[in-house]
Amino acid sequence: MSASNCLRCCLLRPSVVGRAGATAATAKASAAATARLRQGMPLAAAAAASFSTTANRGANQKPKPGTKAAERNAPPSIRQGKLFTIKKKKKNDSGARVKSPLPGERKAFRKRILLSNTNALPVPGLTDLGAESMLDPSNVCKVLSLPDDVVDQLRADEAFKTTQCWSMFRKPSILIRTETVDLITRMHAAAKTNKTLRLVLTGDRVTGKSLMLLQAITQAHLNDWLVVNIPDAQELTTACTEYAPILDTEPIQYMQQNYVLKLIQAIKKSNEKLLLKLTTVFSHAGLPQNIPIKSPLMQLANSAKEAEGAWAVFQAMWQEMTAQGHGRPPMLLSLDGLTHIMRISDYRTPAFNPIHSHDLALVRLFTDHLSGATSLPNGGAVIAATNRNNAPRNPSMELALAQREAEQLGGGKDVPQPQPYLKGYDERVEAVLRNVQVIKLQGLSKLEARALMEYWAASGVLRITVDEKSVTEKWALGGSGVVGEMERASLLTMRF
Amino acid sequence: MTSAANSLRLCLRTSNQITSRLRTVQRRQVPLARRALSTSQARWVAKEKGKDDEDSEPPELKYYSSFNDPGEALRNRLKDETLSEDDRATITGMLEEWQLLPQQKKGDAERLKRDINNEMSDLRRIINPKRDAFWNDSDEKDTDLITDEFGEDDFEEDDMLSMSHGKLEEHREAREYARITVWEMPLLSQFAKSFQPPAKEDCLRFRYTTYMGELHPADRKVVVEFCPKDVPGLSEAQQLKLKKLAGPRYNPEKDIVKMSCERFEHQAQNKRYLGDTVSKMIETAKDPTDMFEDIPLDTRHHTFKVKLKYPKEWYINTKRREELEALRKQSLLLDEQRRATGGLIDGVSIIKKNLLAAVEPEPVMELRGGPRSGKMRR
Repeated sequence: MSASNCLRCCLLRPSVVGRAGATAATAKASAAATARLRQGMPLAAAAAASFSTTANRGANQKPKPGTKAAERNAPPSIRQGKLFTIKKKKKNDSGARVKSPLPGERKAFRKRILLSNTNALPVPGLTDLGAESMLDPSNVCKVLSLPDDVVDQLRADEAFKTTQCWSMFRKPSILIRTETVDLITRMHAAAKTNKTLRLVLTGDRVTGKSLMLLQAITQAHLNDWLVVNIPDAQELTTACTEYAPILDTEPIQYMQQNYVLKLIQAIKKSNEKLLLKLTTVFSHAGLPQNIPIKSPLMQLANSAKEAEGAWAVFQAMWQEMTAQGHGRPPMLLSLDGLTHIMRISDYRTPAFNPIHSHDLALVRLFTDHLSGATSLPNGGAVIAATNRNNAPRNPSMELALAQREAEQLGGGKDVPQPQPYLKGYDERVEAVLRNVQVIKLQGLSKLEARALMEYWAASGVLRITVDEKSVTEKWALGGSGVVGEMERASLLTMRF
Repeated sequence: MTSAANSLRLCLRTSNQITSRLRTVQRRQVPLARRALSTSQARWVAKEKGKDDEDSEPPELKYYSSFNDPGEALRNRLKDETLSEDDRATITGMLEEWQLLPQQKKGDAERLKRDINNEMSDLRRIINPKRDAFWNDSDEKDTDLITDEFGEDDFEEDDMLSMSHGKLEEHREAREYARITVWEMPLLSQFAKSFQPPAKEDCLRFRYTTYMGELHPADRKVVVEFCPKDVPGLSEAQQLKLKKLAGPRYNPEKDIVKMSCERFEHQAQNKRYLGDTVSKMIETAKDPTDMFEDIPLDTRHHTFKVKLKYPKEWYINTKRREELEALRKQSLLLDEQRRATGGLIDGVSIIKKNLLAAVEPEPVMELRGGPRSGKMRR
């Protein structure tokens, strides 16, 4: 049906009806046209009658035979058959242009950590943590909030995880558990006697291992310790960051300069005050910049501007931070995801042999300190937390931790023994974990659970009366107080 | 001795070859060696030239010709040089008697002989095998031939239906077993033996299978079980070695070695083999040259079943009931105390209170500067 025969087009198309200028005029004209139609006037006459100065062209006229336009309009010949045509995808019609995210934006969104929510109610009577609060057993079963400057430091350390529910509350706060007091007391005792606490936090899924590590880091920051935190050991061993062999090492070790640069920046940010205060005591050769003796450590840290040379700077910083007898503070070396560094990494040697994780220099630094081969001369703690959800199979680590745990309980016969015919035991892993302390996290006690639920209710995210009945209910739903499961049962569900 | 039959009998008796011949004469077939596929006609084997004259007539035919009358036969007999003197005298006497007989009697003897020959001709006839017969047997009825089936299975109203026959058979069977139950089963008690519990030395437990007299491939199977601890005279280390020797036949959960054999045809053979194997194992376990100390006991073949038991502390009894009651009372009391002091936190009321406090007049948007145009632009 051509345009001129289509009544609707005839009535509405301004080119046919005529350019009246204003919409009102168009309406009038169309009304006139309809009136004419009713009287049975010919359409061509109606088209000619409008106020038009332009020639009537296009749709009304037949194209001359032989021209391209004629070919286009001609029906397909019978011989041609049916043609398959792919329709062009229509672009967004709504008019709003959708911008695809820039490189890295998606990851940033995924990794984004919200530590405050203004919709949540401020909890009355919530106090900040002090330097000694986590040592005090009377603070057990209390929820205390993190001081703002420590929050910044923890953020720099990447101690907060995306899976934790910080974004539901007004202010990041933590529950003091009996295990917290235990851990912090051990840390303090070690620091007092210039010894190194070597400890592994283990436990089932979502029992709060990473959060316990965060509490240890918080305590270190509150007491002006130097903190070096490896937030996710997975990044070191799953071959997602660049690596290069270190010359003159036997057996050959590998450095991960990009990661180390990131780590230096994190250390710089989280220990800013200390690094400004402390000054270098050694002269270092082979650094990107010449750092004279007695210049602040911050200057040394700042000299790592590119991945190239980052490993040398890190080594120099490590040497400075652990210098003995220069009034250096105790140090906390912590790592989350121990399972990932207790296995053969995904990296390969040039001969395509797999590289053991302990041959990666940064990992080796950590494992040496964890095993006690090297100690922190100014005292401090080396704490590692295992991970359960995304953990590779690791029989040696499981066995070693179970053995240490049994030994701590003083069981002579109950210490589990390796299965003689099981494959996959790793001697290097056993050697590292032969002499560490283990804290196994389990469910919360009912009192702890109650304190936590009261904090949730006071923040306005738990719409129930927190009494013994409801606490017991959630405690049981959470598998005898597994804190993550309790959270899942009460906060992350739509049913209350 | 004057009858013709008598003289015939005499002739037959004296002529050994003929009697034996008569006895053995039966209907027989001439075996024809045929090839499966042959276009040439079957022929007799060609006779040798030298023998032709002698063997032109088979030797028995001589006696046939002498049978024309007994006198002739006797005369023929006398020609034989190997005859003893007594026989010769007897035959000569008989010949004289024959010659003295009247002609009519002689004719009788001839008739008798003819009759006998007639009777026996059927036996002497050579039967050629039927060419179509399957077993080369002329008497065979060809079962492959389809019989005239019409009316074969028709019921002639003279019998019960087959279902009735079946029912009857059932009854017979039941009655047979009933008879056995009543008459024969009680006799079994004669064979009953009192149970003798195995002695302490009998540490092997054998298991056999019977299918009540039926033939079955598994009825030869014998299984032996024993606990290494029960084997007399084994030290701890030897017991461990025995377990290691048993390999996957050792069940660590039950501490039992279980072996089976069905390699041989008879149960007894299999049992013997098992007994030999066990004694060999025990012997090896006792051998102190290599105690397998460097090899740990392998239990990978066995999956240990963890049997979860309901904890004893959780059993509901009066004591536990009281405990629970006290706990509940205590927690209720705690809640009541908190409620009284205002320490009980109620999430719903807190949210309500805060929502009420938060209700403030909405800030009105004010225009800054003069209106730029009369209408809002889209």
